[in-house]
Order: sequence, then structure tokens, then C-alpha cells
Amino acid sequence: MGWLGEGVVRIHFAGIDLGSTMTKIVILDDDEQIKASVVHHTGAEHRRLANRVMEEALNKSGLSIDDMTFVMATGYGRINVPFADRQITELSCHARGVASFFPNVRLAIDIGGQDAKGLKIRDGKLLDFVMSDKCAAGTGRFLEVISTALGLKIEDLGDISLRSTRKVSVSSTCTVFAQQEVINHLSAGVPLEDVIAGLHDAIAGRTARMVNRLKVEPDVVFTGGVAKNIGVVKALEETLKCPVLVPEEPLLSGAIGAALLGKEHVLKALDQGETIQTGKRRLGEATFFK
Amino acid sequence: MAYFLGIDIGSSTSKGIITEDGNNLSSHLLPSGVNYRLAAQNLIDELLTKAGVTREDITCTVATGQGSANVEIADQEVADIRCCARGIFSLFPSVRTVIDIQGQSTQVLRLNGEGQVANFVVSEKCASGSGRFLDIIANVLQIKLEDIGPLSLESKNPITFTTGCAVFGESEAVSRVSEGVTREDIVAGVHQALAEKISSLVGKVGLEERCAITGGGGLNIGLIKWIEKKLGIELMVPPEPQLVTALGAAIMAEDACKPG
Repeated sequence: MGWLGEGVVRIHFAGIDLGSTMTKIVILDDDEQIKASVVHHTGAEHRRLANRVMEEALNKSGLSIDDMTFVMATGYGRINVPFADRQITELSCHARGVASFFPNVRLAIDIGGQDAKGLKIRDGKLLDFVMSDKCAAGTGRFLEVISTALGLKIEDLGDISLRSTRKVSVSSTCTVFAQQEVINHLSAGVPLEDVIAGLHDAIAGRTARMVNRLKVEPDVVFTGGVAKNIGVVKALEETLKCPVLVPEEPLLSGAIGAALLGKEHVLKALDQGETIQTGKRRLGEATFFK
Repeated sequence: MAYFLGIDIGSSTSKGIITEDGNNLSSHLLPSGVNYRLAAQNLIDELLTKAGVTREDITCTVATGQGSANVEIADQEVADIRCCARGIFSLFPSVRTVIDIQGQSTQVLRLNGEGQVANFVVSEKCASGSGRFLDIIANVLQIKLEDIGPLSLESKNPITFTTGCAVFGESEAVSRVSEGVTREDIVAGVHQALAEKISSLVGKVGLEERCAITGGGGLNIGLIKWIEKKLGIELMVPPEPQLVTALGAAIMAEDACKPG
């Protein structure tokens, strides 16, 4: 481990993905193994939250901020990470993260709380992408709004939909109207599981139309919070007519990708004989969370 | 004596009118709820009671609106665009453009000199182009729907929404409140966004004066003012904008029974 220079014995890379709905952080060791990960709801106070998840991850792993060789921030709130050494767009991070789990990935689909993305990847490199963030339909928000209206937990939707025998069609163009449709279906006596399965189909259909331009071919990998929903995974497989792979921790792909890109950045700098520029690590500001 | 019934089962509200030889005898409206059939039955019962007539006295019934198929006693179903045109033309024969703003859709109609529909465009795919957007924002800001329009006119600094989506707009309104933006500036921003969408619909059919507003949107003085500002014209507002399509249906029922 001497490659980082004299006196440096602990090498760790942190990646933090401050998304619109969820904030994710991972700490990887030199062998790219996860030492700690934390997932938290993103509130209004991004900077405090960033500090808080970092502290939690450090506590879990028994490390200190000074043990971090490099901290890479990504996601829509990435400029609000006071201790980050560098920021990078979430598209690069997702591509890198997904390729680390599934090296043969050619299409990555990420559906988060407020957007949906399709990434065309070849040999681990991002070639092209499509994105939808103008409308809540087709994002995790769609499921969140409707599950709240029905008094269901969002994490239960997947299992409920698996019981469906005759799914109904639900409009995929507008969350507000779909919610109304769902209520109409239920009051007309359609079983809950058939309605929820219809919702999953609506998201899958919209996603398929979005990624169509990128050419759908295996391996197709699905990440983001919505990938935790087995019903949407199945609906996507049916709609795209190919297997859909989901990593063990679908929420963490962006954060893992960020940490890995941080490592690459460090290696490249060393290779060129440059010193590694780290930012001011102002974690102290947030100690009152302890 | 001949009585005619016009029933408009809309996505949010059901409206009905009984006419007697061209005069309004009774009118009523109620929420459509989730069961259109039940809404239609209740509406008809109420109309008959108010008018003091029985089902058998009705010569002809025309049903229209999204739920028109649920009106069991209907002799005819007619598209709501045509009923809306017929209704507004009977009130304002000089009207050439109609903006019909409903709970779940907005439509713009252009009429010829005879009151026939020459062109129309419907926006029904997305809540942010309909009255529903106002509903959602009024609800999250805890303002009564009828107060949201007048309140919007008090704004000095309307906000600009960064999103075209009603769901994301709701979150945006909430975060603006937490930033200390006043409620009137937020609701003015919503009206402005809606007026913008509507004026682009008007652009698609081509604006020809005079222009009238109908549907639930015609009850909102704020929306009327914002659309007038956007289009640079004055809108004609019927006394009961929500009932215009039902009125058109009742007139069509009369037309259907005219000899020849």
C-alpha cells in the first residue's frame, strides 16, 4: 500500500450521491469493498444532511474523515457537499457504478424519486443517454403519490402486484389523472393487486418508450429506488422482452460509481506525478448531530 | 307543454338543465364522484323535483360529457364540444372562440358565424393544463378553491414555476412557502402558468374575437384576468359558466324534436 506515499496507510474512497429524494453514501476500501453505506431521505437542508450521512458512514466503518483518500460528490445536490474533493455528474457515476456490478451492461435504466434515465453503455463507458425529469409520471414520484393516496406503503406495492391475475390498464401520462383512474377502478370493484399491477405496467411502458432510442439489448440493468419494486422489474422484463438485472443495492450505484471515479482520479493524478488536490474537509460544522 | 333535459356528466362535476319551450325551468350541479351512473340518477331526480315535473313529462333528453353513456334515460348522446358550442352561441351569438376549462381538461373551440365548430383543440393528457392544477395548489396552501383567483390578483411578484408538472409544482409551491414567498405570489404564479398553457392552446386554433370562457374555470376571476392579460383581450363570461354545455345539450334536445 505504499503507492500513495510515505505515512499513508489507510486508503478509502467515499462517494456521496445527493439525489432529489434520497441521499446515498458509500465508503470503499482499496479493494473496492464496501466498508459502510448510508441511505437517508434528502430533506431541504442539503449541507447538513451531507455532513450527517458522512458522519454516520464514518461511525459505521470506524474511520475518520482524514482516512478518506478522496471524496467524490454526485447527484442533483452535489454542490452542497461541504467536504467533497470534487463533483461529477450523476450520469458518469451511474454508468461507472452499474458497470462495476455488471461488466456486460449495454443499457442501464435508473428510476429515482423525481427523474428517470436511460444510459447506453459500451465496455463500461457512457455513450449516450436519455432523461425525463419534467413530469412526475414515469418516476418514483408516480408510485409515491398513488401509494400515499391509497394508504399503502410504497415498499409493499411490488409484492401486492405479484398476486395479480387480470391487470387493468392505467394511464401513464399524468400522475394526477392516474391517481383518479386508480380510485375509479377500485370503486368499480377491481381487485387492488390488478390495479397496482396496472400502475407498474404504466411505468414500464413509459420507460420503454423513453429508452427506445438507445436500442434495448442485454445486459439491461435497472437501478434507483424503483428497482427495489419487484413488480416494476417484472413489468419491465415483459415490456422490453429481455431479462432485467438488478444489483443487490440498486440505490447505491451512483454513490459507488462516484467513489470508483474518485479512485480513478487519484490513480491518474499519481500516474502523472501530480499531487492529489483535496478540498477543505469541513465536517466539523455538523458535529451537533452526534 | 314540452320539457327538454340536457345532462352533462363531467369528470369532476355533473350538470343538468330542464328547459320548457326554450326557457330554463331548473338547473342543478353536483360532484360526479366515482360512480357516474349514480351521479346521473341523483342529478335527474333533483332537476325533476326542482322543476316540479316527472320523468314522463320529458320529451327528449340529450346526454354529454365524459360520463354521458351512464345516463340511462338519454335519447341521444352528443359530444361535449358540440353542446358547449351550441350553449355558448345561444347566449352570445357574436362569440367566435370559446375557452372551456374543466376539472380534468381544457378545450378551445373556434366557431363560425352559424355557431358551428370550425376547429378545436383538447388538452387532457396532463393535469397542469386543467383546473386540477389550481385545485392541487389551493389544497396544499390550504386556500379555498373559490378564494384562489381573487388572492392571485393581489400579487405584486408572481413566481415562475420551473416545472410544467402539477405534482412537481405542488412540491415547488411548498418549498417556496418555506422560503418565505407569499401565498398570493405563489397562486399568481400558478394562474400565470395555466394562462400560458391555455393561450398556447388558443394559438393552435387561432384566436378570433369575440372570445368567451366556459366551464369551472369561468368561475375564477383571477384566471379570467390572467388569461385576458396574456391574450390582450377581454373575455365574455356567461352568468353560469359551468352550465353552458348542459344548456347546449338541452337546446339540442329541443332541436331533435323539431318537425323536419
